[in-house]
Order: sequence, then structure tokens, then C-alpha cells
Amino acid sequence: MTGLLRRTGPLSPLLAGFVLMAGGLTVRDVAGGLAGLAALALAAPFALAGSRVSWLRLLAGVLALASVTWSNWLLASPRELEPALVAGLRVAFFVVPGIVLAAFVDPSELGDHLGQRLRLPARPVLAGVAALQQLDDLGQEWASMARARRVRGLGPDRSPVSQVRFAADLTFSLLVQALRRAERMTVAMEARGYADLARPGPDRARRTWLHPAPWTGADTTLVVLAAAVALVPVLLPLVVPPGS
Amino acid sequence: MKTGMRARVQARGLGWTPLGATSPVLCGIDLEVGPGERVLLAGPSGSGKSTLLRALAGVLEGVEAGDPTGRVTRPEGERVGLLLQDPRDARVADRVGRDVAYGPENAGLPRPEIRERIAWALDAVAFPYGPERLTSALSGGEAQRLALAGVLAARPGLLLLDEPTSMLDDASARRVRDAVLAAVAGTDIALVVVEHRLAPWVGVLDRLVVLGGRGSASPGGLLADGPLEAVLAERGPELLDTGVWVPGAPPPTPIAVPARLVAPRTPPAGDVVVASGAGLVRAPRRRLLGRTRTAPVVALEGVDAVVRAGGLLAVRGPSGAGKSSLVDLLVGLDAPTSGSVGATPALAAGLRPDLARWSSRELAARVGWVPQAAEATIVGSTVRDCLLAGARALRRPEAEAGARAEGLAEILGLTHALDRNPHRLSGGETRRLAVASALVHGPGLLGLDEPTVGQDRHTWAAVAGLAGAAADAGLGVVVSTHDGDLAAHAHDVLTLREGRVA
Repeated sequence: MTGLLRRTGPLSPLLAGFVLMAGGLTVRDVAGGLAGLAALALAAPFALAGSRVSWLRLLAGVLALASVTWSNWLLASPRELEPALVAGLRVAFFVVPGIVLAAFVDPSELGDHLGQRLRLPARPVLAGVAALQQLDDLGQEWASMARARRVRGLGPDRSPVSQVRFAADLTFSLLVQALRRAERMTVAMEARGYADLARPGPDRARRTWLHPAPWTGADTTLVVLAAAVALVPVLLPLVVPPGS
Repeated sequence: MKTGMRARVQARGLGWTPLGATSPVLCGIDLEVGPGERVLLAGPSGSGKSTLLRALAGVLEGVEAGDPTGRVTRPEGERVGLLLQDPRDARVADRVGRDVAYGPENAGLPRPEIRERIAWALDAVAFPYGPERLTSALSGGEAQRLALAGVLAARPGLLLLDEPTSMLDDASARRVRDAVLAAVAGTDIALVVVEHRLAPWVGVLDRLVVLGGRGSASPGGLLADGPLEAVLAERGPELLDTGVWVPGAPPPTPIAVPARLVAPRTPPAGDVVVASGAGLVRAPRRRLLGRTRTAPVVALEGVDAVVRAGGLLAVRGPSGAGKSSLVDLLVGLDAPTSGSVGATPALAAGLRPDLARWSSRELAARVGWVPQAAEATIVGSTVRDCLLAGARALRRPEAEAGARAEGLAEILGLTHALDRNPHRLSGGETRRLAVASALVHGPGLLGLDEPTVGQDRHTWAAVAGLAGAAADAGLGVVVSTHDGDLAAHAHDVLTLREGRVA
């Protein structure tokens, strides 16, 4: 079986993420949270079959929910485990699937769909796609700048202070670099008709798109599946009355 | 221009003063290019060739800050195609088909016609892959041909190319040039090509326009404009002086650099760094978004190489042969994934031999490196800070390092820029600054990655002079290059082919 996420467009994973976020807010007790997570676990194979999930990415989500739980426990007075667990479960309910879903959104396809399906104006959509693509390149730029600094003796030593200072310095340089690249990229885009899209009046070019942006059955199924999972914490108290 | 035909572009009294500059880069330029004309635009580094091209394309204002004068006119509805120096800047999509489609999409063409244009444009530049190929998995030459296809797909009446082959090896450069010529053959497209090296374009372009630059007889204006062969014949020596690579002229003489400016602090002797059976497999790139994944790449396999003190080793081979990867290993930027790369005690001076594991300061004290993208090693807020950054990180005496920095700056023509922002230098100046910055603190090993690509004759002479002087002063020097003139100055040559020693 091929998982839904291999057949959907980019809009339904985003929408599913928002639906789960709304569901997360309705988690009121540990039982509801656990039931929701169980539903997620049951639904996951339908969405993910045949796809690889990067566990390293999930680590960030796990860290987030661990720190939310721990700080809710630590800072509450008196310290109680249950409210802290509920807070953690809420986060787990939408952050973890959100991280997984975002990985399936392809910037170019997102542009196709925002422009055609949602009929957003072409210029901001194209600028957004270009920005997402640049974001993707930042990791590589960071690595190459860090290498260059290491050879010049400007790399960090083992002390945390030096590591933090190095990272701050490099972040600033990276931003400057990104601005310069954006400037050059703008020239390339302007020279290929991006400017025509801004011309005022009736002779403004109406952009067409090479690839269609269909909303398929898989998209609907994914959103319905997400809605069903999101409803579990809401409906649980009606089926199993609390305290029973 | 032939009379009776309407110009494809016309500049009258065109001038440009960048924000903060005291004198204009361009000044009082009158230029007309007619249908079917094939123009070669040349001039020294920093003479405003790219600026003029952007002005002709109508994208100068709004992108750069500065003060324009005069005007540029083009016929109503005329499409302009502008190809930039670095094809990475032109990449607007993740797949080849989408990238080429960008112009036709913006023009609002129907889908079947866009597909036709993609097929036609990829064919016109002899692109070796289909539209589903990832744009991130292309070599430099392929990426430049893709960018050209993207420009052609919009069917421009005026085609402006900014050093389309300067970042490529000879074979790739020839393919890009042939693609350009095939695409305009038999059309009335007006073509303007900016290049430093003129030889490949002689006999195929018919008009030569030369910008004088700030130091010339006509600062910011046109030094020459006329039929290509005639201008070369009449004004050859004058053009040579400005740094233009005039066809048939002998390669420039490397500048003389006093040994005290480049000498290592502790001169090594014998072998400096030795690679035996070294291999490098680059891990696939991790992506933040999207579903596409790339496979690991074998960059090097079983390579033996030795860098000797007092020797200049040239690493040669076609694009993608692993030249840069080998330099990366030899200067300790990367650790080999098989085999070994080790510094000899002469260089290590008490450290373990695996230089890739040395700390930043340990490495910097012994090694200098200039990548192909020289701006990566540019740091600090002034040129002086950039020159001294390494010496300061190593806590070297400021007076001694300062004297070396100023001496190198003088030889390289950077004295006037010592207090300027290093990020505002021209491409040639940036390259010279990067090489000087790698030598100020006196390392025993110097690695240069394609140091002469896209440089005018003056910068070439400076870079070749520094590399030669460094070897003469006792450093081990390794240079990756596809420039035969530079390799002619090497003591040892190692040729790579597909990651192996050929």
C-alpha cells in the first residue's frame, strides 16, 4: 500500500496539521491525550506507508514536549504530575505530526497550489517559493562558511562561550550573505518576466503554471483522517464519562 | 549599427554612481545594438561591465543602490534575456523543467506551448538530461547551460550574457559557447557577451566594445567600439594594458613578491603533507523541506599525492574530477573516508598527523586556504581587518603582521582599499585579498582552489606571483586548476579523472 502522503498535494498536509492543532487544544485530561495519541498511532500507517521519516527531526518535537511537561511540573505550585502531563500531551498531539507533515510539503508544489487552487497573487507566491528554496540552501552555506573560518583560525574552541559567540557571528554573516544572494536572484527573476507580473493596468501578464494543482481523493482522505483523529479527545468524555 | 534598422537597445549618456562611491563607474556611455548584431563587451576588472549589462536589461535600478544618469530605451514589448555569471543565482526551481518554464509561465503562455518551449530550449543548449532532473545535481557547465535555456525559453529579442563561461573548464566553456551560437544562428536576436578571455569569441562575434575603467584615458566611458578584428589589430597593446586577455598575447608575467612577505614562520623541509590511497565519499545533502533525496557521491578513490616544501603541486583534470576535494583533504578541511592523509612532522610540529582533526587555531597556524568562491574567507569590516584576522586569532605580534599585511596590500594594489569594506570590492580585488589573507600569518602549507578562474590579466599575474613566491619561500603549495598557463609554473602536476589519478 502507498501511504496517503505520497499521493497528496502540499495543501492537505498543511490543513491536516492545523486540524490536529485545533484537536490538541481540546485535550483536557491524560486519558483524552493518550486516546488521541493512540488514534494518531493507528492513523499513521495509512498516511506514512512507503515513506521514510527522519527520526532526527522528530527529536526536536520530543525535546519540546519533554521540556513543556517538565517545566509545567517544576513551576507549578504545588507540583502536580497530571496537569504537566496534559500540557505535554497537548504539544505531542500536534507538534509531532506537524513535523512529519511539514517534511512532505515541497516548496515548488506549494507554489503551484497557492497560485492556482487558492488563487493567491503570483508575485508573493513566487517570492515565497524562492525564499523557501533559499532556506533549504542555508544549511550548506553555513557549513561552507564554518569551514572557511576554521582554516583562518576563527573557529570555536571547546568552551561553550566560544561556541555560542561563533554561532552568533556566523548567523549574522549568513544573513548578510543571504541578502546578497537574494539581490542577485532578484535580478535573475526580474530578467525572466517576474517584473511583467507587476505591470499596472490591463496589459499585466496573467501567469500560467506548467503543472496543474489538483485536489485529489487522497487530499480529502488525509484531511478527514486528521479530523477523525482530532475529534478523539473531544468525543472520548461523551463515550466514556470521566471518573467512571 | 546598420542604418534603417531599429535598435534593439539604445543607451544615451548613460552613467551610474554606486551609493557611497566618489566617482562614477559608468559615465556618458552612448551605445546602440541593432537586430542580429553580435557584440563582445570587454574591459578590466571593476570597469562596470556587469553594471552596463544590467542597465541595458533595465534591472539596475531597484536592485542596486546608486545614482543613474542618461537613459536606456528599448522598443515597446521587447523581451530581454539576461544570463548571470554564477548559474546558482539563476536557479528558480528544484527541477529542470520547472526552471526553464519560469519565463514562459510569467508571460502567461498556455501549458502545451510551455512544454514545447522547454523541449526546444533544452535541445538548443544540448542539455544532456530531461526536465525531471534535479537542478541541485548539475555540474557548473550543465547549470550554466540550463540557465541559458531558461533565458532562451522566453524568446528574447535582446540576449545579454555576463561572463557565461568564466567559471567553467575549457570543454564546458566550449559547449556553452556553441550553445549560445546555435541558439542565435539565423535569428535577428541582438547578442551582447561580456568576457575577460576574448579568444573563444573571435571569428564568431562581430563587434568589440571596451570599457575603460576608472584608471583609463576615458574613465567610466568607452575605450573602443568597432569591428572585433579591426579593434584587436589596432588597439591590442592598449587593451593588454587594461588587463584584457587579447588573443595571441603571451600569458602575463607573474608579479615579483619579496620572500619576506610570504615566508613561513617555521619553514618546513621535505614532504609537508602526504595522501596515500585517500578516498572521499560525500554524504547526501540533508534537506529541510520536500521529498527529494540525493545519493552519496564518490568524490575521490585511492589517490596518492605529496606536497613538498618549496614545491608547487598543480592538480588538474576536467570538471567534477575531484580537484577541489583533493585540495580540501590536503589542507585538512575534510577527513578522508578511506586511506589516509597525514601531515609530516615538518608541518605538524608536535601535533598528530591527521590534520583534519586539528583545532581551528592549530590548523590556521600551519595552513592557508583560498576556496574557488574566495568571498567565503572574507571577514571583518575593513580590508585591513580581513588581512589581519588570522594573525590576530593566533595572537601574533600586531606590528609584524601589520607590516606583512601592508607589504602584500601594496604589491597587490589594495593599499587604497585598506580601510574599505572588504565586501564592496570587485571580484578580482576580492580574490587578491583572499590570497593575501591566507599568507599574512606565515603558514607552511598553502592550498588554492581554481585561483585564476574569471580573472583579468592583472589579477592573474598577482595570484600566480604569490603562489610562485610562496613555493620559493619554502611553503608547500597545492593548486587545483584547469588553467594551463598557471600549471606551467608548477613543479609537480597530478591529473585526476573521475576521482582517480589518471
